[in-house]
Amino acid sequence: MTAAATAGPAIELRGLRKTYTKGKKITVAVDGLDLVVPRGQVFGLLGPNGAGKTTTVEICEGLTEPDSGHVQILGRQWHQGDDRALRQRLGVCLQETKFHEKATVRETLVLFASFYPGGRSVDEVLALVSLQEKADARQASLSGGQRQRLAVATALLGRPELLFLDEPTTGLDPQSRRQLWEVVRTFRRDGGTVVLTTHYMDEAQQLCDRIAVVDHGKVIALGTPAELIRSLGAEHFIDLDVEPDALGTRVAAADLEALPGVQATRLSGEQAALTVASVHRALPAVLELLAARGIALRGLATRHATLEDVFVHLTGRHLRDEGAA
Amino acid sequence: MTPRIVRAVALVSLREFWRAPDAVFWTYGFPLLMAIVLGFAFQAQAPQPLPVAVIAGAHADALAAQLRQSPRLAVERLDAEAADRALARGRLALLVRATDDGPVLRNDPTRPDAELARLLAERALRPPADDSAAPLSVEAEDRPGSRYIDWLIPGLVGLNLLGAGMWGIGFNLVHLRTQRLLRRLVVTPMRPREFLLGFLIGRGILVVPEAAAITLFGVFVWGVPFRGSLLAFLLLVLAGGFAFMGLGCLLAARPRTIESIAGLTNLCQLPMWLLGGVFFSNERFTGVLRWAVEAMPLTHINRALRDVMLEPTGVAAVVLPAAGLVGFGALCLLVALRWFRWT
Repeated sequence: MTAAATAGPAIELRGLRKTYTKGKKITVAVDGLDLVVPRGQVFGLLGPNGAGKTTTVEICEGLTEPDSGHVQILGRQWHQGDDRALRQRLGVCLQETKFHEKATVRETLVLFASFYPGGRSVDEVLALVSLQEKADARQASLSGGQRQRLAVATALLGRPELLFLDEPTTGLDPQSRRQLWEVVRTFRRDGGTVVLTTHYMDEAQQLCDRIAVVDHGKVIALGTPAELIRSLGAEHFIDLDVEPDALGTRVAAADLEALPGVQATRLSGEQAALTVASVHRALPAVLELLAARGIALRGLATRHATLEDVFVHLTGRHLRDEGAA
Repeated sequence: MTPRIVRAVALVSLREFWRAPDAVFWTYGFPLLMAIVLGFAFQAQAPQPLPVAVIAGAHADALAAQLRQSPRLAVERLDAEAADRALARGRLALLVRATDDGPVLRNDPTRPDAELARLLAERALRPPADDSAAPLSVEAEDRPGSRYIDWLIPGLVGLNLLGAGMWGIGFNLVHLRTQRLLRRLVVTPMRPREFLLGFLIGRGILVVPEAAAITLFGVFVWGVPFRGSLLAFLLLVLAGGFAFMGLGCLLAARPRTIESIAGLTNLCQLPMWLLGGVFFSNERFTGVLRWAVEAMPLTHINRALRDVMLEPTGVAAVVLPAAGLVGFGALCLLVALRWFRWT
C-alpha cells in the first residue's frame, strides 16, 4: 500500500460533474463539486432532496461513473488497479436496500461477512448495532429502525476505514435515530471516517464534525456546525407571529433591522424571523416597536440558530422544501 | 360505493401501466409481434403429411402403394424393431403390417394425430365404395415404453428444467435488482462471478430432486420404463439445468422491471413450450421449423432424456448432447457477466 493510501484525506473530489439524460431532458446532478473529507471525522453532506448528495456519494463508492472530475478515495482512484482492495476498506449503507426477505438477521450478516476475510465476527457486529435479540428474526419481522441498523451492520463487517451512510435515518422514529447515531459515534471514536448524507439538520448538527451544505450539485458552504451557524452573523433567532396585513405595510423589514441587536429579518406572511446577536437587547426594542405601531402580537419564540437557518440564509429555501432540487 | 373514488383508483392504475413503456410493450407489442411471426410461420402451409410406416414383409409393397394414394400420408417401410422404436419416440403416427387376415393398424390413440392417421389409412386401404371388404383390424399400442405417457414424462422433465432456469434464475435476479440488493452487493469486495456462480448453485441444486420427483412419479404411478443409465440421466439433468440457468442469467442481465423479465422469459419460453418436443413430437418438422427446433436447447435435452429413459442408453451416448448443453449455458453466462446490470 502506498503512502498516499494510508495518509492524506479520506476523500478528495475536484471538479466533479455528473449529468443524467432522459429523452431531451438533461439533469445536472453534480455540477463541478469540490470537496476534501479529512480522516477520522464524521463529515456531513447536508442538502435538500435532489441536491446531488446521493450521486456524489455513489461516485465515491464506485457505483456511478462521473462525467468528469477527479475522485480519490483513501489515496486511490477507481478503475486504476485493484478495486476489490479498495472495497475491502469501505463500508457502505445505501439509501434504500431490501435484503432477502426470508433470511434471518444472522444469515444476512453471514452472507456479507463472507466478503470480508479478517473482518468482524457476526456476533461482534450484532452487538455493535444492538441487534442480538433479533439475530434469528427474519427480515419481514423487523421494524424500520432494526432494518436500518442491519444495513449499517453489513457495512461494519469489514472493519472499514471509511463508512458511507446515505440518509441512514430517513423515516425512522426518534429512538431508532438515536440508536443509529450512537453506532456512528462509536465508529468515529474507534478512528473511522464517516460520510453521512442527510436532510435532517439536527442529525448533522449532532453527529458531524464538518458539514458541506450542498445545493444544485455544488457545495455552497463548508465548515463545522458552529462555524456555519456563526456565518449567519448571529446565533439567535426571534420568531414573531403578528396580526394579518401588518408586516411589510405597518412595519417594514428595514424598521426591524434598524433596532439594536437585530442583524437580519425575513418576513413571510404573518411571520417574521429576526436574526439577532443578543436576545436581551433586541427583544425589548422589537416589542416596543410593535406596540408603537399598534400591531398585535399573536406569538413569540426565541431560539438558537440552526443549520436550517444557514440553509435558508444561503438559498432562500427550506431544506425540506419539495422541489428544492 | 363512491364513483369518484372508483374513478380515481382506475385512473391511477391506468396511468401506472401506461407510463411504464416496458409493460406496455410486453402487453401490446409482444402479442402483436407473436401474431405477426407465427402468422408468417404458419401461413399458406399445406398440412404436414402424417408419417406412417409399413413393416417390411410379404405384401408390404402393395400396402405401401395403397397408402401412398392418400396425399396426407408420408409412407415409409421399416423393419419391425425400427418401426416400434419410431412409434415409441413419436416419429410415427401409425404402423401398418400385413397379415394373412389382412392389414393390421397399430397406434397409440392418445397421441396427437394418431387417430387422424388411422382414419386416413383406413380410407386408403378400404375405400368407402368397397362394401365387400372386411373391416380392418386396429391394435392400440399400450406396451410400456411405447405409450404417449412414456414419451411425455421425459418431456415434462425437460420442461421443468426450462422453467426452473428461466423463472427460478431470471425472475429472481431481476427481483433482487428491483430490491436494490444487487447494488448493495456490488459495492462489497465480492466478485460478480462469485455471486452468479453461488446463485446458480443455490438454485441449480434443486433441479435434481425436481427431475427425480417427476421421473419417479412416472415410473411408479404410470409404469414408465427407465431402461438407460441413471448416471447418464443425472448428467443430462445437470447439463440441461445449467443450460437453462445460463439462459435465465442472460435474459436477466439487463431488465430493470419484473414486466420486462416476464416478457423476455415468455418470448424465449413460449416457442420452446410449443415446439420443443414436450407435448408433441417435433421430429417431423421440415424447413425453417426444423432449423428452429434444432436451435432450441429443449429439443436436445428432451431427445436425450427420452434416449436414456426409453432405450438402454449409457453415459457415452449422452456426453455429446450434455457437452453441447453445458457449452450453451457457459456461453450465455459469459455474455450475461459482460452485460450484467448491477445498479
